[in-house]
Amino acid sequence: MQLPEFEYLRPKTLAEGLAALAEHGPDATIMSGGSDLLINMKFRLDTPKYLVSFNAVQEMKAIEPQADGGLSLGAGCTLTQLAESEVLAEKYPALHQALFSVGSKHVRNAATLGGNICLDTRCWYTNQSENWRETRDGCFKTDNELCHVIKSADKCHAINSSDSAPVLIVLDASVTLASVNGTRDVPVSEFYNNDGVDHTVMRQGEILVGVTLPPPKGRSVYAKLAQRDGLDFASGTFAAGIVGSNEKPESVCLVMGSVGPEPKVLADSAAIIKASGLNEESIETAALAARASLGEVTNLFTPSGYKRRLVKALVKDALGELRDLQV
Amino acid sequence: MAKQIITLTVNGDEHEIAVAPYQTLLEVLRDDLALTGTKRGCTAGSCGVCTVNGEKGEAVLSCCALAVEWDGRSLTTVEGVQEGNDLHPVQQKFLEYGAVQCGFCTPGLIMSAKALLDVNTSPSEKDINEAMAGAICRCTGHIKVKIAIREAAKVLREREGGVADGQA
Ligand SMILES: Cc1cc2nc3c(=O)[nH]c(=O)nc-3n(C[C@H](O)[C@H](O)[C@H](O)COP(=O)(O)OP(=O)(O)OC[C@H]3O[C@@H](n4cnc5c(N)ncnc54)[C@H](O)[C@@H]3O)c2cc1C
Ligand code: FES
Ligand code: FES
Repeated sequence: MQLPEFEYLRPKTLAEGLAALAEHGPDATIMSGGSDLLINMKFRLDTPKYLVSFNAVQEMKAIEPQADGGLSLGAGCTLTQLAESEVLAEKYPALHQALFSVGSKHVRNAATLGGNICLDTRCWYTNQSENWRETRDGCFKTDNELCHVIKSADKCHAINSSDSAPVLIVLDASVTLASVNGTRDVPVSEFYNNDGVDHTVMRQGEILVGVTLPPPKGRSVYAKLAQRDGLDFASGTFAAGIVGSNEKPESVCLVMGSVGPEPKVLADSAAIIKASGLNEESIETAALAARASLGEVTNLFTPSGYKRRLVKALVKDALGELRDLQV
Repeated sequence: MAKQIITLTVNGDEHEIAVAPYQTLLEVLRDDLALTGTKRGCTAGSCGVCTVNGEKGEAVLSCCALAVEWDGRSLTTVEGVQEGNDLHPVQQKFLEYGAVQCGFCTPGLIMSAKALLDVNTSPSEKDINEAMAGAICRCTGHIKVKIAIREAAKVLREREGGVADGQA
Protein backbone atom coordinates (compact mmCIF):
# COMPACT_ATOMS: atom_id res chain seq x y z
CA MET A 1 0.00 0.00 0.00
CA GLN A 2 1.19 3.48 -0.82
CA LEU A 3 0.57 6.75 0.91
CA PRO A 4 -1.71 9.37 -0.64
CA GLU A 5 -0.08 12.66 -1.64
CA PHE A 6 0.27 15.47 0.89
CA GLU A 7 2.34 18.54 1.73
CA TYR A 8 4.82 17.91 4.50
CA LEU A 9 5.53 20.47 7.21
CA ARG A 10 8.17 20.02 9.85
CA PRO A 11 8.05 22.80 12.45
CA LYS A 12 11.13 23.10 14.67
CA THR A 13 9.36 24.70 17.60
CA LEU A 14 5.95 24.26 19.17
CA ALA A 15 5.04 27.88 18.34
CA GLU A 16 5.82 27.27 14.67
CA GLY A 17 3.76 24.07 14.75
CA LEU A 18 0.77 25.76 16.38
CA ALA A 19 0.90 28.50 13.76
CA ALA A 20 0.84 25.86 11.01
CA LEU A 21 -2.16 24.14 12.61
CA ALA A 22 -3.97 27.48 12.90
CA GLU A 23 -3.18 28.43 9.32
CA HIS A 24 -4.31 25.18 7.70
CA GLY A 25 -7.27 24.39 9.99
CA PRO A 26 -9.13 21.23 8.97
CA ASP A 27 -6.67 20.59 6.12
CA ALA A 28 -3.87 19.85 8.61
CA THR A 29 -3.25 16.59 10.46
CA ILE A 30 -0.79 16.16 13.32
CA MET A 31 1.77 13.40 12.97
CA SER A 32 3.95 12.11 15.78
CA GLY A 33 5.45 8.62 15.40
CA GLY A 34 3.12 7.92 12.51
CA SER A 35 2.77 4.30 13.58
CA ASP A 36 -0.99 4.53 13.40
CA LEU A 37 -1.60 7.57 11.24
CA LEU A 38 0.50 6.49 8.26
CA ILE A 39 -1.33 3.16 8.14
CA ASN A 40 -4.71 4.89 8.25
CA MET A 41 -3.48 7.12 5.43
CA LYS A 42 -2.50 4.08 3.40
CA PHE A 43 -6.03 2.81 4.01
CA ARG A 44 -7.26 6.26 2.80
CA LEU A 45 -9.06 6.75 6.11
CA ASP A 46 -7.06 9.96 6.49
CA THR A 47 -6.09 12.03 3.47
CA PRO A 48 -4.67 15.24 4.89
CA LYS A 49 -3.65 18.09 2.61
CA TYR A 50 -0.95 19.12 5.10
CA LEU A 51 0.82 16.66 7.31
CA VAL A 52 2.40 18.49 10.23
CA SER A 53 5.16 16.39 11.78
CA PHE A 54 6.02 17.32 15.37
CA ASN A 55 9.02 15.01 15.52
CA ALA A 56 11.55 17.86 15.39
CA VAL A 57 9.94 19.71 18.31
CA GLN A 58 12.37 19.01 21.16
CA GLU A 59 10.33 20.83 23.80
CA MET A 60 7.74 18.00 23.69
CA LYS A 61 10.18 15.20 24.51
CA ALA A 62 11.07 15.64 28.17
CA ILE A 63 10.37 13.48 31.23
CA GLU A 64 10.38 15.89 34.17
CA PRO A 65 9.91 15.05 37.86
CA GLN A 66 7.77 17.73 39.52
CA ALA A 67 8.41 19.53 42.80
CA ASP A 68 5.21 18.06 44.32
CA GLY A 69 6.42 14.50 43.64
CA GLY A 70 4.47 14.11 40.41
CA LEU A 71 5.86 13.64 36.92
CA SER A 72 5.35 15.45 33.65
CA LEU A 73 5.76 13.61 30.35
CA GLY A 74 6.13 15.30 26.98
CA ALA A 75 3.68 14.07 24.34
CA GLY A 76 6.60 13.52 21.97
CA CYS A 77 8.36 10.98 24.22
CA THR A 78 8.59 7.66 22.42
CA LEU A 79 7.19 4.62 24.16
CA THR A 80 10.69 3.11 24.17
CA GLN A 81 12.02 6.23 25.91
CA LEU A 82 9.24 5.88 28.51
CA ALA A 83 9.74 2.13 28.86
CA GLU A 84 13.39 2.83 29.66
CA SER A 85 12.55 5.54 32.21
CA GLU A 86 13.41 4.33 35.70
CA VAL A 87 11.41 7.01 37.43
CA LEU A 88 8.28 6.04 35.49
CA ALA A 89 8.79 2.33 36.19
CA GLU A 90 9.37 2.97 39.86
CA LYS A 91 6.63 5.49 40.61
CA TYR A 92 3.93 4.53 38.12
CA PRO A 93 4.45 0.82 37.37
CA ALA A 94 0.93 0.30 35.97
CA LEU A 95 1.41 3.05 33.36
CA HIS A 96 4.88 1.76 32.59
CA GLN A 97 3.45 -1.71 32.02
CA ALA A 98 0.64 -0.37 29.81
CA LEU A 99 3.05 1.55 27.57
CA PHE A 100 5.40 -1.41 27.41
CA SER A 101 2.51 -3.59 26.21
CA VAL A 102 1.92 -1.50 23.07
CA GLY A 103 2.61 -3.32 19.79
CA SER A 104 6.21 -4.49 19.54
CA LYS A 105 9.63 -3.04 20.22
CA HIS A 106 9.66 -1.96 16.58
CA VAL A 107 6.39 -0.07 17.01
CA ARG A 108 7.37 1.44 20.38
CA ASN A 109 10.60 2.82 18.93
CA ALA A 110 8.51 5.12 16.72
CA ALA A 111 5.26 5.45 18.69
CA THR A 112 4.79 8.40 21.05
CA LEU A 113 2.75 8.99 24.18
CA GLY A 114 0.73 11.78 22.55
CA GLY A 115 -0.11 9.54 19.59
CA ASN A 116 -1.14 6.77 21.95
CA ILE A 117 -3.49 9.02 23.91
CA CYS A 118 -4.98 10.50 20.72
CA LEU A 119 -5.01 7.18 18.88
CA ASP A 120 -7.94 7.10 16.51
CA THR A 121 -10.72 4.63 17.28
CA ARG A 122 -10.68 1.39 15.33
CA CYS A 123 -13.27 -0.89 13.84
CA TRP A 124 -13.01 -4.22 12.12
CA TYR A 125 -15.11 -3.05 9.17
CA THR A 126 -13.36 0.23 8.62
CA ASN A 127 -9.69 -0.19 9.46
CA GLN A 128 -9.12 -2.07 6.23
CA SER A 129 -7.83 -1.25 2.79
CA GLU A 130 -9.91 0.88 0.46
CA ASN A 131 -10.63 -2.14 -1.75
CA TRP A 132 -11.98 -4.08 1.18
CA ARG A 133 -14.18 -1.20 2.28
CA GLU A 134 -15.59 -0.78 -1.23
CA THR A 135 -17.36 -4.12 -0.92
CA ARG A 136 -19.98 -2.57 1.36
CA ASP A 137 -21.56 0.79 2.09
CA GLY A 138 -19.58 3.42 3.92
CA CYS A 139 -20.19 4.15 7.60
CA PHE A 140 -20.12 7.01 10.09
CA LYS A 141 -16.34 7.00 9.92
CA THR A 142 -16.21 7.35 6.15
CA ASP A 143 -19.06 8.86 4.15
CA ASN A 144 -22.32 7.44 5.44
CA GLU A 145 -24.77 7.48 8.37
CA LEU A 146 -24.52 3.84 9.22
CA CYS A 147 -22.77 1.52 11.64
CA HIS A 148 -22.04 -2.00 10.42
CA VAL A 149 -21.64 -3.29 13.93
CA ILE A 150 -24.81 -2.06 15.57
CA LYS A 151 -27.26 -1.54 12.75
CA SER A 152 -29.64 0.61 14.78
CA ALA A 153 -26.84 2.86 16.05
CA ASP A 154 -27.03 6.61 15.59
CA LYS A 155 -23.29 7.07 16.04
CA CYS A 156 -19.98 5.34 15.48
CA HIS A 157 -19.06 2.56 17.90
CA ALA A 158 -15.42 2.12 16.88
CA ILE A 159 -13.16 1.09 19.73
CA ASN A 160 -10.67 3.20 21.67
CA SER A 161 -7.74 0.82 22.02
CA SER A 162 -5.23 3.18 23.60
CA ASP A 163 -3.34 1.25 26.26
CA SER A 164 -2.40 4.37 28.18
CA ALA A 165 -5.91 5.87 28.48
CA PRO A 166 -7.43 3.63 31.21
CA VAL A 167 -4.35 3.84 33.45
CA LEU A 168 -4.05 7.60 33.04
CA ILE A 169 -7.61 7.92 34.32
CA VAL A 170 -6.86 5.70 37.32
CA LEU A 171 -3.75 7.79 38.06
CA ASP A 172 -5.83 10.98 37.93
CA ALA A 173 -3.61 12.38 35.17
CA SER A 174 -4.38 15.40 33.04
CA VAL A 175 -3.30 16.41 29.57
CA THR A 176 -2.19 19.85 28.43
CA LEU A 177 -3.64 21.01 25.14
CA ALA A 178 -2.07 23.93 23.29
CA SER A 179 -3.16 26.13 20.39
CA VAL A 180 -2.27 29.62 19.17
CA ASN A 181 -4.88 30.85 21.65
CA GLY A 182 -3.10 29.43 24.68
CA THR A 183 -3.13 26.23 26.69
CA ARG A 184 -5.67 24.38 28.81
CA ASP A 185 -5.46 21.36 31.09
CA VAL A 186 -8.06 18.61 30.83
CA PRO A 187 -8.32 15.62 33.18
CA VAL A 188 -7.92 12.43 31.13
CA SER A 189 -11.25 11.30 32.63
CA GLU A 190 -12.89 14.14 30.65
CA PHE A 191 -10.77 13.90 27.52
CA TYR A 192 -12.72 11.25 25.62
CA ASN A 193 -16.20 11.29 24.04
CA ASN A 194 -18.39 8.25 23.68
CA ASP A 195 -18.38 8.64 19.90
CA GLY A 196 -16.00 6.80 17.57
CA VAL A 197 -15.82 9.65 15.05
CA ASP A 198 -15.34 12.62 17.37
CA HIS A 199 -13.60 10.71 20.11
CA THR A 200 -11.75 13.43 22.03
CA VAL A 201 -12.58 16.93 23.28
CA MET A 202 -9.66 18.40 21.32
CA ARG A 203 -10.59 21.41 19.23
CA GLN A 204 -9.45 22.39 15.78
CA GLY A 205 -5.89 23.75 15.95
CA GLU A 206 -5.10 22.13 19.29
CA ILE A 207 -2.33 19.66 20.01
CA LEU A 208 -1.68 17.55 23.08
CA VAL A 209 1.71 18.72 24.37
CA GLY A 210 2.10 16.78 27.59
CA VAL A 211 0.73 14.74 30.45
CA THR A 212 0.89 15.59 34.15
CA LEU A 213 0.84 12.77 36.65
CA PRO A 214 0.05 13.80 40.24
CA PRO A 215 2.20 12.21 42.97
CA PRO A 216 1.46 8.47 43.10
CA LYS A 217 -1.20 7.46 45.60
CA GLY A 218 -1.99 3.95 46.79
CA ARG A 219 -1.63 0.94 44.48
CA SER A 220 -2.59 0.36 40.88
CA VAL A 221 -2.48 -2.45 38.32
CA TYR A 222 -3.01 -2.84 34.58
CA ALA A 223 -4.18 -5.95 32.78
CA LYS A 224 -4.50 -6.56 29.06
CA LEU A 225 -5.82 -9.46 27.06
CA ALA A 226 -4.97 -9.76 23.39
CA GLN A 227 -4.85 -12.61 20.92
CA ARG A 228 -1.05 -12.66 21.09
CA ASP A 229 1.14 -11.20 23.83
CA GLY A 230 3.05 -9.16 21.30
CA LEU A 231 1.83 -6.97 18.43
CA ASP A 232 -1.93 -7.20 18.86
CA PHE A 233 -4.32 -4.49 19.92
CA ALA A 234 -6.14 -5.53 23.08
CA SER A 235 -9.40 -7.47 23.14
CA GLY A 236 -9.93 -5.86 26.51
CA THR A 237 -7.91 -3.93 29.09
CA PHE A 238 -8.51 -3.03 32.71
CA ALA A 239 -6.82 -0.56 35.04
CA ALA A 240 -7.52 -0.48 38.75
CA GLY A 241 -6.36 1.77 41.56
CA ILE A 242 -7.00 1.71 45.28
CA VAL A 243 -5.99 4.18 47.98
CA GLY A 244 -6.02 2.90 51.56
CA SER A 245 -6.10 -0.62 52.91
CA ASN A 246 -7.88 -3.63 51.41
CA GLU A 247 -10.25 -3.60 54.38
CA LYS A 248 -11.09 0.10 54.37
CA PRO A 249 -10.34 1.68 50.99
CA GLU A 250 -10.42 5.47 50.89
CA SER A 251 -10.99 5.55 47.16
CA VAL A 252 -11.28 3.07 44.31
CA CYS A 253 -11.08 3.73 40.58
CA LEU A 254 -11.71 1.03 37.99
CA VAL A 255 -11.52 1.63 34.23
CA MET A 256 -12.05 -0.74 31.33
CA GLY A 257 -10.43 -0.09 27.96
CA SER A 258 -11.00 -1.39 24.41
CA VAL A 259 -14.71 -1.95 25.00
CA GLY A 260 -16.15 1.13 23.30
CA PRO A 261 -15.27 4.54 21.85
CA GLU A 262 -14.10 5.80 25.25
CA PRO A 263 -12.50 4.18 28.30
CA LYS A 264 -15.34 3.00 30.53
CA VAL A 265 -15.22 4.02 34.20
CA LEU A 266 -16.81 1.19 36.22
CA ALA A 267 -18.55 3.23 38.94
CA ASP A 268 -20.79 0.39 40.21
CA SER A 269 -17.90 -2.05 40.62
CA ALA A 270 -15.79 0.60 42.34
CA ALA A 271 -18.64 1.39 44.77
CA ILE A 272 -18.88 -2.30 45.69
CA ILE A 273 -15.16 -2.47 46.53
CA LYS A 274 -15.25 0.83 48.39
CA ALA A 275 -18.19 -0.31 50.53
CA SER A 276 -17.06 -3.85 51.32
CA GLY A 277 -13.29 -3.68 50.92
CA LEU A 278 -11.16 -5.72 48.53
CA ASN A 279 -11.77 -9.40 49.27
CA GLU A 280 -12.69 -12.56 47.44
CA GLU A 281 -16.41 -12.01 47.71
CA SER A 282 -16.41 -8.35 46.71
CA ILE A 283 -14.11 -9.09 43.79
CA GLU A 284 -16.59 -11.63 42.44
CA THR A 285 -19.51 -9.20 42.85
CA ALA A 286 -17.53 -6.35 41.30
CA ALA A 287 -16.58 -8.51 38.33
CA LEU A 288 -20.23 -9.43 37.76
CA ALA A 289 -21.22 -5.78 38.05
CA ALA A 290 -18.55 -4.86 35.51
CA ARG A 291 -19.98 -7.34 33.08
CA ALA A 292 -23.52 -6.06 33.66
CA SER A 293 -22.61 -2.39 33.40
CA LEU A 294 -21.10 -2.75 29.95
CA GLY A 295 -24.50 -3.27 28.34
CA GLU A 296 -24.05 -3.67 24.61
CA VAL A 297 -20.41 -4.60 24.42
CA THR A 298 -19.35 -3.13 21.17
CA ASN A 299 -16.22 -4.78 20.08
CA LEU A 300 -16.31 -6.31 16.75
CA PHE A 301 -12.92 -7.97 16.88
CA THR A 302 -14.48 -10.66 19.09
CA PRO A 303 -18.13 -11.68 19.51
CA SER A 304 -19.90 -9.82 22.31
CA GLY A 305 -20.58 -13.02 24.30
CA TYR A 306 -16.85 -13.64 24.43
CA LYS A 307 -16.24 -10.06 25.38
CA ARG A 308 -18.58 -10.23 28.35
CA ARG A 309 -16.84 -13.30 29.72
CA LEU A 310 -13.49 -11.67 29.08
CA VAL A 311 -14.50 -8.56 31.01
CA LYS A 312 -15.47 -10.59 34.04
CA ALA A 313 -12.27 -12.67 33.97
CA LEU A 314 -10.04 -9.65 33.45
CA VAL A 315 -11.62 -7.69 36.32
CA LYS A 316 -11.49 -10.67 38.64
CA ASP A 317 -7.84 -11.50 37.96
CA ALA A 318 -6.62 -7.92 38.13
CA LEU A 319 -8.46 -7.14 41.35
CA GLY A 320 -6.97 -10.27 42.89
CA GLU A 321 -3.57 -9.00 41.86
CA LEU A 322 -4.33 -5.55 43.28
CA ARG A 323 -5.40 -7.08 46.60
CA ASP A 324 -2.09 -8.93 46.94
CA LEU A 325 0.06 -6.01 45.81
CA GLN A 326 2.32 -4.49 48.44
CA VAL A 327 3.50 -0.91 48.21
CA MET B 1 3.98 17.72 -5.26
CA ALA B 2 7.45 19.14 -5.01
CA LYS B 3 10.22 16.72 -4.28
CA GLN B 4 12.78 17.56 -1.66
CA ILE B 5 16.48 16.72 -1.68
CA ILE B 6 17.48 14.71 1.35
CA THR B 7 20.83 13.39 2.51
CA LEU B 8 20.60 9.85 3.71
CA THR B 9 23.53 7.74 4.83
CA VAL B 10 22.89 4.05 4.23
CA ASN B 11 25.48 1.50 5.32
CA GLY B 12 28.07 4.28 5.49
CA ASP B 13 27.38 5.60 1.98
CA GLU B 14 25.99 9.10 1.75
CA HIS B 15 23.22 9.60 -0.81
CA GLU B 16 21.57 12.78 -2.00
CA ILE B 17 18.13 11.81 -3.21
CA ALA B 18 15.08 13.71 -4.39
CA VAL B 19 12.10 12.30 -2.56
CA ALA B 20 8.42 13.14 -2.43
CA PRO B 21 7.06 13.60 1.12
CA TYR B 22 4.74 10.63 0.73
CA GLN B 23 7.53 8.18 -0.10
CA THR B 24 8.27 5.78 2.74
CA LEU B 25 11.79 4.94 3.76
CA LEU B 26 11.12 1.43 2.45
CA GLU B 27 10.19 2.73 -1.01
CA VAL B 28 13.27 4.92 -1.18
CA LEU B 29 15.60 2.10 -0.12
CA ARG B 30 14.16 -0.38 -2.57
CA ASP B 31 13.04 1.73 -5.51
CA ASP B 32 15.52 4.62 -5.50
CA LEU B 33 18.62 3.02 -4.00
CA ALA B 34 17.97 -0.50 -5.33
CA LEU B 35 18.68 -1.94 -1.89
CA THR B 36 16.14 -4.71 -2.20
CA GLY B 37 17.44 -6.73 0.75
CA THR B 38 14.89 -4.88 2.87
CA LYS B 39 11.57 -6.54 2.08
CA ARG B 40 8.10 -5.19 1.49
CA GLY B 41 5.46 -7.21 3.33
CA CYS B 42 2.30 -5.95 4.98
CA THR B 43 3.36 -2.28 4.65
CA ALA B 44 1.28 -1.73 7.79
CA GLY B 45 3.66 -2.21 10.70
CA SER B 46 2.67 -5.72 11.61
CA CYS B 47 5.20 -8.10 10.07
CA GLY B 48 8.66 -6.58 10.49
CA VAL B 49 10.19 -7.70 7.17
CA CYS B 50 10.99 -4.07 6.41
CA THR B 51 13.11 -3.62 9.57
CA VAL B 52 16.29 -1.56 9.29
CA ASN B 53 18.51 -0.23 12.08
CA GLY B 54 18.56 3.45 12.96
CA GLU B 55 21.38 5.61 14.24
CA LYS B 56 21.47 3.95 17.64
CA GLY B 57 21.08 0.52 16.12
CA GLU B 58 17.38 0.43 17.02
CA ALA B 59 14.81 -1.49 14.99
CA VAL B 60 12.93 0.81 12.61
CA LEU B 61 9.94 -0.23 10.49
CA SER B 62 10.84 1.36 7.18
CA CYS B 63 7.30 0.88 5.82
CA CYS B 64 5.95 3.18 8.53
CA ALA B 65 8.57 5.93 8.27
CA LEU B 66 8.63 8.87 5.89
CA ALA B 67 11.91 9.19 4.00
CA VAL B 68 11.86 12.98 4.47
CA GLU B 69 12.00 12.45 8.23
CA TRP B 70 15.36 10.73 7.71
CA ASP B 71 17.04 13.73 6.12
CA GLY B 72 20.57 14.04 7.53
CA ARG B 73 20.39 10.74 9.36
CA SER B 74 22.02 7.36 8.86
CA LEU B 75 20.80 3.81 8.93
CA THR B 76 21.91 0.25 8.30
CA THR B 77 20.14 -2.26 6.08
CA VAL B 78 20.79 -5.98 5.81
CA GLU B 79 23.26 -5.22 2.98
CA GLY B 80 25.44 -3.40 5.51
CA VAL B 81 25.59 -6.01 8.23
CA GLN B 82 28.40 -8.15 6.83
CA GLU B 83 31.85 -7.56 8.36
CA GLY B 84 34.26 -7.25 5.43
CA ASN B 85 34.21 -10.62 3.71
CA ASP B 86 32.72 -12.40 6.69
CA LEU B 87 29.14 -12.71 7.68
CA HIS B 88 28.06 -11.06 10.91
CA PRO B 89 27.63 -13.68 13.69
CA VAL B 90 23.84 -13.32 13.49
CA GLN B 91 23.89 -14.08 9.77
CA GLN B 92 26.39 -16.89 10.24
CA LYS B 93 24.33 -18.56 12.95
CA PHE B 94 21.08 -18.21 11.00
CA LEU B 95 22.85 -20.18 8.26
CA GLU B 96 24.40 -22.77 10.54
CA TYR B 97 21.23 -23.48 12.47
CA GLY B 98 18.89 -23.45 9.47
CA ALA B 99 16.87 -20.54 10.78
CA VAL B 100 15.86 -19.79 7.20
CA GLN B 101 13.28 -21.48 5.02
CA CYS B 102 11.94 -19.35 2.15
CA GLY B 103 14.10 -16.47 3.39
CA PHE B 104 11.59 -13.69 2.93
CA CYS B 105 11.54 -12.69 6.59
CA THR B 106 15.27 -13.21 7.08
CA PRO B 107 16.50 -9.64 6.50
CA GLY B 108 13.90 -8.31 8.94
CA LEU B 109 14.71 -10.99 11.51
CA ILE B 110 18.45 -10.36 11.18
CA MET B 111 17.99 -6.62 11.64
CA SER B 112 15.66 -7.16 14.62
CA ALA B 113 18.09 -9.60 16.23
CA LYS B 114 21.01 -7.28 15.58
CA ALA B 115 19.15 -4.40 17.22
CA LEU B 116 18.91 -6.55 20.33
CA LEU B 117 22.45 -7.97 20.33
CA ASP B 118 24.04 -4.57 19.68
CA VAL B 119 22.93 -3.49 23.14
CA ASN B 120 22.60 -6.81 24.93
CA THR B 121 24.89 -9.78 24.31
CA SER B 122 23.41 -11.78 27.19
CA PRO B 123 19.73 -11.68 26.31
CA SER B 124 17.27 -13.70 28.38
CA GLU B 125 14.45 -15.67 26.76
CA LYS B 126 12.16 -12.74 27.57
CA ASP B 127 14.55 -10.21 25.99
CA ILE B 128 14.64 -12.26 22.79
CA ASN B 129 10.86 -12.63 22.66
CA GLU B 130 10.41 -8.91 23.24
CA ALA B 131 12.89 -7.91 20.57
CA MET B 132 11.55 -10.35 18.00
CA ALA B 133 7.78 -10.01 18.61
CA GLY B 134 7.48 -7.44 15.84
CA ALA B 135 9.20 -9.57 13.19
CA ILE B 136 7.27 -12.54 11.99
CA CYS B 137 8.45 -15.56 10.04
CA ARG B 138 5.77 -17.22 7.96
CA CYS B 139 7.67 -20.50 7.58
CA THR B 140 9.82 -21.49 10.55
CA GLY B 141 8.52 -21.94 14.06
CA HIS B 142 10.86 -19.23 15.41
CA ILE B 143 12.61 -21.98 17.41
CA LYS B 144 15.66 -22.19 15.19
CA VAL B 145 15.63 -18.42 14.92
CA LYS B 146 15.93 -18.18 18.68
CA ILE B 147 18.67 -20.82 18.80
CA ALA B 148 20.60 -18.87 16.18
CA ILE B 149 20.24 -15.67 18.18
CA ARG B 150 21.51 -17.34 21.36
CA GLU B 151 24.45 -18.80 19.46
CA ALA B 152 25.26 -15.44 17.89
CA ALA B 153 25.12 -13.88 21.36
CA LYS B 154 27.73 -16.39 22.51
CA VAL B 155 30.08 -15.40 19.70
CA LEU B 156 29.61 -11.74 20.51
CA ARG B 157 30.27 -12.35 24.21
CA GLU B 158 33.45 -14.22 23.36
CA ARG B 159 34.55 -11.24 21.33
CA GLU B 160 33.95 -8.99 24.30
CA GLY B 161 36.23 -11.31 26.23
CA GLY B 162 33.42 -12.52 28.45
CA VAL B 163 32.40 -16.07 29.29
CA ALA B 164 31.07 -18.02 26.32
CA ASP B 165 28.37 -19.95 28.11
CA GLY B 166 26.50 -17.27 29.98
CA GLN B 167 22.79 -17.17 30.64
CA ALA B 168 21.49 -17.11 27.08
C1 LIG C 1 1.54 -3.59 14.65
C2 LIG C 1 0.96 -2.52 15.52
C3 LIG C 1 0.54 -2.83 16.80
C4 LIG C 1 0.01 -1.84 17.63
N1 LIG C 1 -0.39 -2.20 18.88
C5 LIG C 1 -0.90 -1.26 19.72
C6 LIG C 1 -1.30 -1.61 21.03
O1 LIG C 1 -1.14 -2.75 21.46
N2 LIG C 1 -1.83 -0.64 21.82
C7 LIG C 1 -2.00 0.65 21.40
O2 LIG C 1 -2.47 1.47 22.17
N3 LIG C 1 -1.61 1.00 20.15
C8 LIG C 1 -1.08 0.09 19.30
N4 LIG C 1 -0.69 0.45 18.03
C9 LIG C 1 -1.02 1.80 17.54
C10 LIG C 1 0.06 2.86 17.67
O3 LIG C 1 1.29 2.36 17.25
C11 LIG C 1 0.23 3.39 19.09
O4 LIG C 1 -1.01 3.70 19.66
C12 LIG C 1 1.14 4.62 19.14
O5 LIG C 1 1.35 4.99 20.47
C13 LIG C 1 0.63 5.80 18.36
O6 LIG C 1 1.58 6.84 18.52
P1 LIG C 1 2.23 7.61 17.26
O7 LIG C 1 3.15 8.61 17.82
O8 LIG C 1 2.81 6.66 16.29
O9 LIG C 1 0.92 8.26 16.69
P2 LIG C 1 0.60 8.78 15.20
O10 LIG C 1 0.39 7.60 14.31
O11 LIG C 1 1.58 9.80 14.78
O12 LIG C 1 -0.79 9.47 15.49
C14 LIG C 1 -1.94 8.78 15.93
C15 LIG C 1 -3.13 9.76 15.99
O13 LIG C 1 -2.96 10.72 17.01
C16 LIG C 1 -2.88 12.04 16.49
N5 LIG C 1 -1.78 12.68 17.24
C17 LIG C 1 -0.50 12.23 17.32
N6 LIG C 1 0.21 13.00 18.19
C18 LIG C 1 -0.65 13.93 18.66
C19 LIG C 1 -0.54 15.01 19.59
N7 LIG C 1 0.62 15.26 20.22
N8 LIG C 1 -1.64 15.77 19.83
C20 LIG C 1 -2.80 15.53 19.21
N9 LIG C 1 -2.98 14.53 18.32
C21 LIG C 1 -1.92 13.74 18.05
C22 LIG C 1 -2.61 11.88 15.02
O14 LIG C 1 -3.16 12.96 14.27
C23 LIG C 1 -3.32 10.56 14.73
O15 LIG C 1 -4.70 10.77 14.57
C24 LIG C 1 -0.12 -0.51 17.17
C25 LIG C 1 0.31 -0.20 15.88
C26 LIG C 1 0.86 -1.17 15.06
C27 LIG C 1 1.35 -0.80 13.70
S1 FES D 1 6.31 -4.38 5.72
FE1 FES D 1 6.83 -3.12 7.38
S2 FES D 1 6.01 -4.19 9.02
FE2 FES D 1 5.30 -5.40 7.36
S1 FES E 1 11.68 -18.25 6.23
FE1 FES E 1 9.88 -17.94 5.08
S2 FES E 1 9.02 -16.26 6.08
FE2 FES E 1 10.59 -16.80 7.41
